[in-house]
Amino acid sequence: MTGPALYRMAWRNLWRHRMRTALTLVAIGFGSFFAVIMTATQDRSFSDFIDTAARLGSGHVTVQHPEYADSPTLTHTVRATDDKRAAAKADRRVSTAVDRTSGMTMLSTSDDSFGALFIAFDPAAETEQTMRFRDAIVAGEMLPSADARGIVLGSTLARNLGAELGDKVVFTLTDRHGEIVAGMERLTGIVTTHTPSLDVGMALLPLGTVRHVLGYDPTEATQVAVFLSDSRRSDAVAERLAPLVPDAVVLTWDKVLPEIRSFIAMKVGGGRVMAVIVAILVCAGIFNTLFVSVMERVREFGIMRALGYSAGQLFRLVMWESAWLAVLGMVTGVLLTLPVYLPLARHGIDLSGAFSQEGQAIDIAGVGFDPIMRIGIFPEHAVFIALAILLATLAAGLYPAWKVGRIEPVESIKVV
Amino acid sequence: MSVPIVECTGVTKVYRQGSVSVPALRGLDLRIEKGEFVAICGPSGSGKTTALNLIGALDRPSSGTIRLEGQDLGRLSRRELARLRRDRIGFVFQAYNLIPVLSALENAESVLVLQGVPGAERRRRVRALLAEVGLEGLEDRRPNQMSGGQQQRVAIARAIASSPAVVLADEPTANVDSETAERLLDLMARLNRDQGVTFVFSTHDPRVMAHAHRLIRLVDGRVAADETKEAEA
Repeated sequence: MTGPALYRMAWRNLWRHRMRTALTLVAIGFGSFFAVIMTATQDRSFSDFIDTAARLGSGHVTVQHPEYADSPTLTHTVRATDDKRAAAKADRRVSTAVDRTSGMTMLSTSDDSFGALFIAFDPAAETEQTMRFRDAIVAGEMLPSADARGIVLGSTLARNLGAELGDKVVFTLTDRHGEIVAGMERLTGIVTTHTPSLDVGMALLPLGTVRHVLGYDPTEATQVAVFLSDSRRSDAVAERLAPLVPDAVVLTWDKVLPEIRSFIAMKVGGGRVMAVIVAILVCAGIFNTLFVSVMERVREFGIMRALGYSAGQLFRLVMWESAWLAVLGMVTGVLLTLPVYLPLARHGIDLSGAFSQEGQAIDIAGVGFDPIMRIGIFPEHAVFIALAILLATLAAGLYPAWKVGRIEPVESIKVV
Repeated sequence: MSVPIVECTGVTKVYRQGSVSVPALRGLDLRIEKGEFVAICGPSGSGKTTALNLIGALDRPSSGTIRLEGQDLGRLSRRELARLRRDRIGFVFQAYNLIPVLSALENAESVLVLQGVPGAERRRRVRALLAEVGLEGLEDRRPNQMSGGQQQRVAIARAIASSPAVVLADEPTANVDSETAERLLDLMARLNRDQGVTFVFSTHDPRVMAHAHRLIRLVDGRVAADETKEAEA
């Protein structure tokens, strides 16, 4: 029998028990729904998380002194950062590259002193994609340029220091010779990120000022932070860039922030376990439907064998039924998923009330999650899920199809 | 002497029920020629359905030889037996046994589809056959939209569509009323007379026996009597 005739028969067979087929399709649909939403949540949130970590730290890919990773002091710098930025930007996957110098500083006002993490940057070179603190300004303004005067503090830190806009803040650093050096700036801006660790311990300084205080060259910094449009390309970009900057090391974000990598790996692992459980449940449902459907039709298959249908043709007939279930199940999955997926992808859902104290972001390893959870699935993951459903459904049909191929006409015709 | 359509020599069939052996056929010898209209009859348990199953290549004998158009069925593989059933044997079952998801026309042409007969050719042949069995205009009906008699007519059309060597009919009138049974038997007798189709029935229905030209009576798995009606022969 030709293929089309078999698939037409399979299609009709599927609708002999409409309710059973409908329930199976709903099961496949919900399986797809959970798989897509879970994967999309992970893809988007981890991608955003990595981007956020990259913005706060040193990019998706970092160019730094070979010893900086083990000894992150202001002694270990990279020079000729303009050449390094140019080498990085030559890669089309790189959206931008900026100089940053960061480390620990002691901040003092007339009232108090506190230690803090400082990030010295060139505000003119940074964009929304590389540093988002402009949105977090709650008083004053962001530093306008690398050579501008001023300091921006986290709101809790400013309160602890008793500093108000315009007040003098002294920052103390240890330079490359081990000497204590200090600078003084007036407080020009206060940021509230809603991430407790940042609000209580972060200071933003103009890069030019810090270079001057530390005695750095104009093209010297602790790091060149390289930003990509897609963090998944970090390894490839780092691999290409490494030979172009022989005096430095090139690290990907997960090497610089291993605790974030571990957190994501743990979450991804948990997600996969859930996905496998969902897949097994869906598979069992499909198998049950097909097996019951086949066992109900033993006599019919026996008649077909008597008429001359080969075992292979009956095998293919059941596999076609399986394939139809897979295709229709995926369509059901799309219909169930889109109404939830699209709003969550566009507008997200505010989880701040559920996971954090009022007004605070979710803080993991010092990096704040955006409390607005949005979803977005990577295309290759969507294709993987579709293929997994297709293969799982076909696999669930294998045994019933094989069973049908083994039916002996004389035995089955006796079955009433 | 021409090669018989069916030739059984010393055929036995023993079924196992646990540790007990139940002989259904105890040495069946029979020969059926082309164009015959034969009824194998006998009481329940006499072995008539078993005989039909063996002749129809649906089962294998415990011993003995069955030849269909001279071909020894015992030498054929499962695949070859399936092909033989498809090409040379037509079946009419007691419970119609049409494929529920196919229309009358699709059921009747199913064997031709398996044989790879081109679409236009098989549709032409099957439409003519359905008209022949009185089902013109009902080609698109599914089995559940037809009466028992109509379904059995479709089954007969399906059985003869591929011009088989023999049509095996197991109690074809068991599930229909008397009037329908008479019509079906008239139909099969006409196909036998006009088209030379060989029919072998397994039955204990007197109406079938009355139409048959030859009666082979089985008792305890053996041929007890073999009568040919001269007037109709």
